[in-house]
Amino acid sequence: MTAALLDVERLSMRFGGVTAIDDLSFAAHACAITAIIGPNGAGKTTVFNCLTGFYRASSGRLTLNRTSERLRLERMPDVRIARAGVVRTFQNIRLFPAMSVLENLIVAQHNELMRASLYTFGGLVGLKSYRSAERRAAEIARHWLERVGLVGRADDPAGSLPYGDQRRLEIARAMCARPILLCLDEPVAGLNPRDSAELARLLREICDRERVGILLIEHDMRVVMDISDHVVVLDYGRKIAEGAPDAVRNDPAVIKAYLGEVDDAEKA
Amino acid sequence: MAAIHAPARTPWGARFKDAALAAVVAGALAIPLIGLHAVDDAKGLRIGTRFDWVAIGIAFVFVGRLLMGGIRQFHLVNPFQPLAHGAARLRPVARLLPWVGIGFAIALPLLPFANRYVIDVATTVLIYVMLGWGLNIVVGLAGLLDLGYVAFYAVGAYSYALLAVNFDLSFWECLPLAGVFAGFMGVLLGFPVLRLRGDYLAIVTLGFGEIVRIILINWQTLTGGPNGITGIPRPTFFGAPLTATPDEGVTAFHQLFGLEYAAVQRVMFLYFLILVLALVTNLFTLRIRRLPIGRAWEALREDEIACRALGISPRNTKLTAFGIGAMFGGFAGAFFATRQGFISPESFTFIESATIVAIVVLGGMGSQMGVVLAAAVLVLLPEFGREFAQYRMLVFGAAMVLLVIWRPQGLLAHREPTIRLPRSDAPI
Amino acid sequence: MAYFLQQLVNGVTLGMIYGLIAIGYTMVYGIIGMINFAHGEIYMIGAFIAVISLTVLGLAGVTYVPLALLIVLIVAMGFTAVYGWALERVAYRPLRTAPRLAPLISAIGMSVFLQNYVAIAQGARNKPVPPVIPGGFNVYEHAGFAVQVSYVQILLWVLTLALMAAFAYVITRTAFGRSQRCVQQDRVMAGLVGIDVDRTIARTFVIGAMLAAVAGVMVTLYYGVVDFFMGFLAGIKAFTAAVLGGIGSVPGAILGGLILGLVESLWSAYFSIEYKDVAAFSILILVLIFRPTGLLGRPEVEKV
Repeated sequence: MTAALLDVERLSMRFGGVTAIDDLSFAAHACAITAIIGPNGAGKTTVFNCLTGFYRASSGRLTLNRTSERLRLERMPDVRIARAGVVRTFQNIRLFPAMSVLENLIVAQHNELMRASLYTFGGLVGLKSYRSAERRAAEIARHWLERVGLVGRADDPAGSLPYGDQRRLEIARAMCARPILLCLDEPVAGLNPRDSAELARLLREICDRERVGILLIEHDMRVVMDISDHVVVLDYGRKIAEGAPDAVRNDPAVIKAYLGEVDDAEKA
Repeated sequence: MAAIHAPARTPWGARFKDAALAAVVAGALAIPLIGLHAVDDAKGLRIGTRFDWVAIGIAFVFVGRLLMGGIRQFHLVNPFQPLAHGAARLRPVARLLPWVGIGFAIALPLLPFANRYVIDVATTVLIYVMLGWGLNIVVGLAGLLDLGYVAFYAVGAYSYALLAVNFDLSFWECLPLAGVFAGFMGVLLGFPVLRLRGDYLAIVTLGFGEIVRIILINWQTLTGGPNGITGIPRPTFFGAPLTATPDEGVTAFHQLFGLEYAAVQRVMFLYFLILVLALVTNLFTLRIRRLPIGRAWEALREDEIACRALGISPRNTKLTAFGIGAMFGGFAGAFFATRQGFISPESFTFIESATIVAIVVLGGMGSQMGVVLAAAVLVLLPEFGREFAQYRMLVFGAAMVLLVIWRPQGLLAHREPTIRLPRSDAPI
Repeated sequence: MAYFLQQLVNGVTLGMIYGLIAIGYTMVYGIIGMINFAHGEIYMIGAFIAVISLTVLGLAGVTYVPLALLIVLIVAMGFTAVYGWALERVAYRPLRTAPRLAPLISAIGMSVFLQNYVAIAQGARNKPVPPVIPGGFNVYEHAGFAVQVSYVQILLWVLTLALMAAFAYVITRTAFGRSQRCVQQDRVMAGLVGIDVDRTIARTFVIGAMLAAVAGVMVTLYYGVVDFFMGFLAGIKAFTAAVLGGIGSVPGAILGGLILGLVESLWSAYFSIEYKDVAAFSILILVLIFRPTGLLGRPEVEKV
C-alpha cells in the first residue's frame, strides 16, 4: 500500500463556541479519489478551508507527503500550500470572467512563468527562454482544453461560457497549476446527469492518468459511488463512517444521518 | 445572464405626470439656492431673487423629461458576451486606430492650425493620458481603486524640483530618480492597504493623497510650503538648452540646427517630450500585460480568492501594481514640474486624483485607447467653455456623471485577449 | 485642567456634528454598499439653506428665536431632503446594477457638481452669519480660565440625542425600520417578499440628508460661517467617524463621531493645528488596517 499523500490527524476547528470539526482523522492517497460526504452543515467545506490554508485549524496535524519532503500544512498560508501542489476549487465558480478561457489556464501556470521571465525583467527584454516557456505553457493549456473539450472557445471570455463549460474549465485550470492533490468542492453541483457523469469520468481519468490524488466533496451520490476509492462521512463535524463506497452506503449510521431514524420517518 | 429591458412606449398621460413630478422636484431644488441667494456686502446680508432662472429651470426639466419618457430604455447586457458580429467586423478598424492616433499626435505641431495654444492644450491632454495609463495599471488592470494617485504625481514633481534646484542635476538625470522615489512611495503606501477592498481602499488612498498634500503645505523648510518651488530648470535637448541667449560656451538648440530662435520651439519640444514619455508608458503596459505579472494583476482584479488558490500571492501582486503605477505617476510629475517651471501644493489636490480615476473608468478599465479618448474629452470639454471659466468645474462634474450613467463599463470596454493558441500547423 | 475641559466640551460638540453627518454615510453604505461621496455636499447645502432661511426670516422681522430656529430647521431639512432624494434618483439608481466603480465615479462627479453649483449660485466667498443665539454660561473656573458651554452647544447636544433616540425607535419598532434592515441584509430577497426596495433606499437617503441638514444648521449657528467647500473635509471626517464606529451601525456613527471630535479638538489644542486633518486621516487608516469592522460593527465574513 502506498504511503498516504495527505494525512489528517485529529483536526479540529472551533469558531467561538461552535465546534465545526471535531477530532477528524483520515488519509488520502495519491492515485485515489477520496470523497468527503455528509449532510449540509457537516463541516466539509471547513475541512477544505483548513487543508488549504484559508482557515487556521484550531488543532490537529495536516501532513502532505511529497516525494521530496513532508510539509505541515496547518502552519502554512494559503498561497504557499497552493504552490506546494494542493490546488482547490470552490462551491461557487471562481473563474476570471473577463479573461479568456486560454488566459485562465495560462494564469494558473503563473509561478513557473514568473521564474522563467526572471521575475518580469527577462520578459521585458524579450528573453528567448521566457518565450519558449510561454509557448510550453500554451501547449499545456491546449492539452487541457482538449481534455475538457473547450479548444474551440479558447479566446472567449470565461464569463461567457455556459455553466457546465465553466465547471469543466475550472478543473482544467486547476490541473494547469500542477497539483499533486486536487481538492474539489462540489464539482458537479448544478450539472444535469449527463454532464455530471462526463465530469466524473474526467476526474477518474485524471486520477488514473495524471496520478494526482483527488479529494472530493460531493452531494451527488451517483458520482461518489461511481468514481471514489474511499469515502469519509461527516456529520456535525465528526467522522461517522469511513471505507469503500459500498460499505459506507449500507452503514446504518450514515443512513441515519442522511435520512433520520426509521421510526421518525414513520411517525411523520 | 443577459436581460434586456424594453418597456412598451409609455402613454402620454403617464409621461405627463412623470414630467410634472420632475418639474416639482426641480422647483424644490431650485428655489432655495437658485431662486434666492445670499448677498453679502457692506450693508450686511441681503437676499437677492432670481425667480426667472427658477422658472426656466423648471420648464427645461419638464420638457426634457416629457421627451425622454419614450426614449430611455435601460439595457442590461452581459458584459462578457463576445462582440456581436457587427462590432467584430469593426475590429480591423479598431486595430488601425492607435496608429492613426500616433500619426496624428506626431504631426500635430506641424499642422497649419497648430498654434501655441493648441500645442499647449495638447501637451496637457498628453500629461493626463500618461497619468491615465499609469493609473490604469493600478485601477484598470489590478482593480485596486486608488483615489490618491496625485500623491505620486506630487512626489515626482517635488523630487525633480528639489534635486534640480538644490543639486543642479539635469532633467534627464532626475527623471529616473523621480520615478524611483515615487515608486518607492507607491510600495510604502501599498503595505497598509493590502487587506482592504473596494470603497475602503478608495477612502484610505484618498486619505494618503490628502496627507501628502498637507505635508507639502506645512513642511515649509523642505517644500517651500504654500509658495512652492520656483525656478525649476527646463529640460535640454541633449545638453542644448532651448533659450534665446545661452550661457557662455553652451550651444543653444536653435544654434545647433541653424534656426532662428522662436519661443514656440520650447513648446514643441515639451510636447514631443511628453509624447515620448506617454508612448513609453503605453509600450510598457502593452508589454507587461503579456507577462505573468500583468496577467496576475488582471486575475487579482477578477477574483482574489481564486488567485490564492492557484498560488498567486496577492500581496506581491498588489505591491508591484502600486509601485509601478506610482513610478509612472512620478515620471509625469517630473515632466509637469519642468514644464511649469514652478510647482505648489495647489496643483496636487484631490480633484486631480478624481480626474485621473474618472479618465480610467470612463475610458473603460484596462483599455489603452479608451484612456486617450476619455482624457481628451475631460480636458477639452472645459476648454471649449473657456469664456465661462467658472462653469468649467460644473460642466466637468456633470460630464463625469452623465458619461458614467450612459456607459457604465466605459467608452471602449472591449478587452482583447493577450495570448492566443498558436495554430497547430504553425512552427514552434 | 480647565483648558482640558474646554477642549472636551468643544470636542464633544464637534463630534456630534460629525456623528449626524456620519449616520447618513453609514446608512447608505449599509443598504447599498457604496460610499455616498456627495453626502458632504448635502450637508453643505443644508448649511447654505439655513443661512438663507435665517436671512429671510430676519428680513421678514421674525425675531423670536425659538420660532425662527424651528422654521429654519424644518425648511432646511425639507429642502435638503429633496436634494438627497434627487441625488439618489439621478446619480445612483441608474447604476445599481453597474460595475462596482461606476457609482463611485458618479458620486465624485456629483460632489464636484454640487460644490460648483453652490459656488456659482451663491458666490464663491464665505458667507458669514451674525450670531443668532449668543451667550452661554461658565461651568467651571480655575486660575482665571473659565470653561464655557454656549447655548448653541447645548442645543446641539439635546437635538442630536433626541434625534438618535427617535431614530433608534424608528429602526427597531416601525415597519419602515424593518424594511430598512431587510433591504440591508438581502436586497433581492427583500424585493421578493414584497418590500418596495426603491422606496426604502430612497427613504434612507432622505433621512440621511435630513440629519445632515440638522448638522448644517447647527454648524451655521455654531461657527457662523459657511462656504461651498466645507462639505469635502467634513464629509471625509464624517466617513472616518462612520468607519470608526462600525459601518452600518448608527450608534457606531455617533460614537465614532464623538471619538473623532475629541481627538481633533485635543490634537489641535495640544499639538499642532496644521496637522489636525492628518490626525483624522491617520485614525481612519489605522482603524481600517487594524479593526476594519470598527468598534460596533459586525464582522463581514466572506464565504469561501
